[in-house]
Amino acid sequence: MNDSHIQVRNLSKTYRVPVRPEGLRASVGSLFHPTYDDIPAVKGISFDVHAGEVVGFIGPNGAGKTTTLKMLSGLIHPTSGELTVLGFEPWKRDAKYLKRISIVMGNKSQMLWDIPPMDSFRVLGEIYNVPAGQFKQTLDEIIELLDMQELLTKPVRNLSLGERMKCELAASLLYRPAVLFLDEPTLGLDVSMQLRLRKFLADYNRRSGVTVILTSHYMADVTALCPRVILIHNGSLMFDGELSSLARDLAPYKLLRLTLLEVTSMESLKLPEGAEITEREGLGLSIRVPRADAPDITANLLQTLPVSDLTVEDPPIEAVIDRVYTGGSL
Amino acid sequence: MNLRGVKALIRGLWLSWMQYRSFFFVLAFGWMIPPLIYLLVWSTAAGDGSLGGFNRGAFVAYYLVLILVNQITYAQVNWTVGDLIRCGQINHILLRPLAPVYDALASEVAGKTVYLLFDLPILAILALIMKPEVTFTWEKVGLFLLALLLAWMLRFLWGYWIALLAFWSARADALLTLQDSLIFLLAGQVAPVALLPGFLQSAAIVLPFRYMVAFPVEILTGNLGRADIAAGFAIQILWTTLAAVLTVVIWRRGVQRYAGFGG
Repeated sequence: MNDSHIQVRNLSKTYRVPVRPEGLRASVGSLFHPTYDDIPAVKGISFDVHAGEVVGFIGPNGAGKTTTLKMLSGLIHPTSGELTVLGFEPWKRDAKYLKRISIVMGNKSQMLWDIPPMDSFRVLGEIYNVPAGQFKQTLDEIIELLDMQELLTKPVRNLSLGERMKCELAASLLYRPAVLFLDEPTLGLDVSMQLRLRKFLADYNRRSGVTVILTSHYMADVTALCPRVILIHNGSLMFDGELSSLARDLAPYKLLRLTLLEVTSMESLKLPEGAEITEREGLGLSIRVPRADAPDITANLLQTLPVSDLTVEDPPIEAVIDRVYTGGSL
Repeated sequence: MNLRGVKALIRGLWLSWMQYRSFFFVLAFGWMIPPLIYLLVWSTAAGDGSLGGFNRGAFVAYYLVLILVNQITYAQVNWTVGDLIRCGQINHILLRPLAPVYDALASEVAGKTVYLLFDLPILAILALIMKPEVTFTWEKVGLFLLALLLAWMLRFLWGYWIALLAFWSARADALLTLQDSLIFLLAGQVAPVALLPGFLQSAAIVLPFRYMVAFPVEILTGNLGRADIAAGFAIQILWTTLAAVLTVVIWRRGVQRYAGFGG
């Protein structure tokens, strides 16, 4: 059975960006002979997303996440490659397709700013031709899950950022889309609002079986919601799999955490080649070692140092991702 | 066509605009001022005689109807289309199962009803004070309404294709200002087209601007002959068709470019 909601094969997007030269003469010249640079934003990525999956789409700024999301939703046209969502080619923006997907952009609103959310919801319900009974049922369910009853009658411009995001989410789900694209839904929200929205998304996904692709810079969003992550960097897919194996696959090192029996001077600490102290406080010590050498180094340390406790860990996910983002490779 | 959606959009936007009714009233007041000034200038100039076939009462009738037509045909939405494109708000509009032009049309319909709440009482009072001289016939009224509808379509579409140039240029709005200036000059605002000097009058008759404002006003309050009215409709329909074609072509290419360059 093929229950794939999203199929992406060798998808690429290259932007043509006009080059504006400096100086009056050159800029007048460019009016008649415009020159362009080709900027590859996404370079041949492939993946599948199955019905009901929640996939975290991560990568540094400019990695190509939003470009990919825009191609998936139908806003922009792929330069090459194949892409189907729910069996449709998104860029054709078929009304039948648009009624089955939804996109929430953390920095763009689809609410009418000056009227209460309830009025915007009604407008959207009509645009998407949602039958009255279903509209009420869906809205009641979402209002309850998001605990937003008291927001419904205030003009949107008077709501806080977090309250507005609740409205955006509710608006995006009114017509029960099968696929939901979330582009930085927790952007700028405080910690407790982030927690609430995460809980809501998890609950809603469980209840409705909606397929979700989420981009976020907050790793907590991803760890809380997405069993699977896709990491892209410089437009290429670097990792696609379970979040728990990301560190194992991508980090070439392990972290040894030691507690010593007595204070040892730095000089007497003779570390084997490749090992590096990352943190030291009192009797506690963190040492980063190449993954392959971890067993040998551990044995060596146990022999040479007065160790009371030792654990071997994968590095924290943020640290792994930071290395990918800043180093570009591992 | 998704009529349900359009009706709901009109309602939603009307509710939004009503929040700002005082702002819209101020806008409407501002648009009323230049024709009012020219009304006073021309009716004073006419004195007890007549100028180019207009006596004082005829000038009053002409300009009061012109104020109404100018407001009904003024497509304020075209000023916001460019911003939607530049700021990426168009993203949500593109992803709705409703052709994006309906968003602009809904905004037009919703906006007009707010302006008219302000305009109609003021015009009624002005008419009582200034005593326009005009005779209406059913035929004139019917032709006026048809010309008014076409004038609105022409002015809306003409401004819309210009506004859509925002897909290419960040400052396409400047062309809307140019359009407003040409309307001021050639669409019977600064003076009825019949009173313009020869070459301007010829230009006014072939260019689209007269057909955005002056033409319906002339039908209702002037003495246009049947041949003039028929020729006027022909030119008006021609320009409206051209504007519609331009809108469709520019929209398609613009969205294609937007899709190519990214929002």
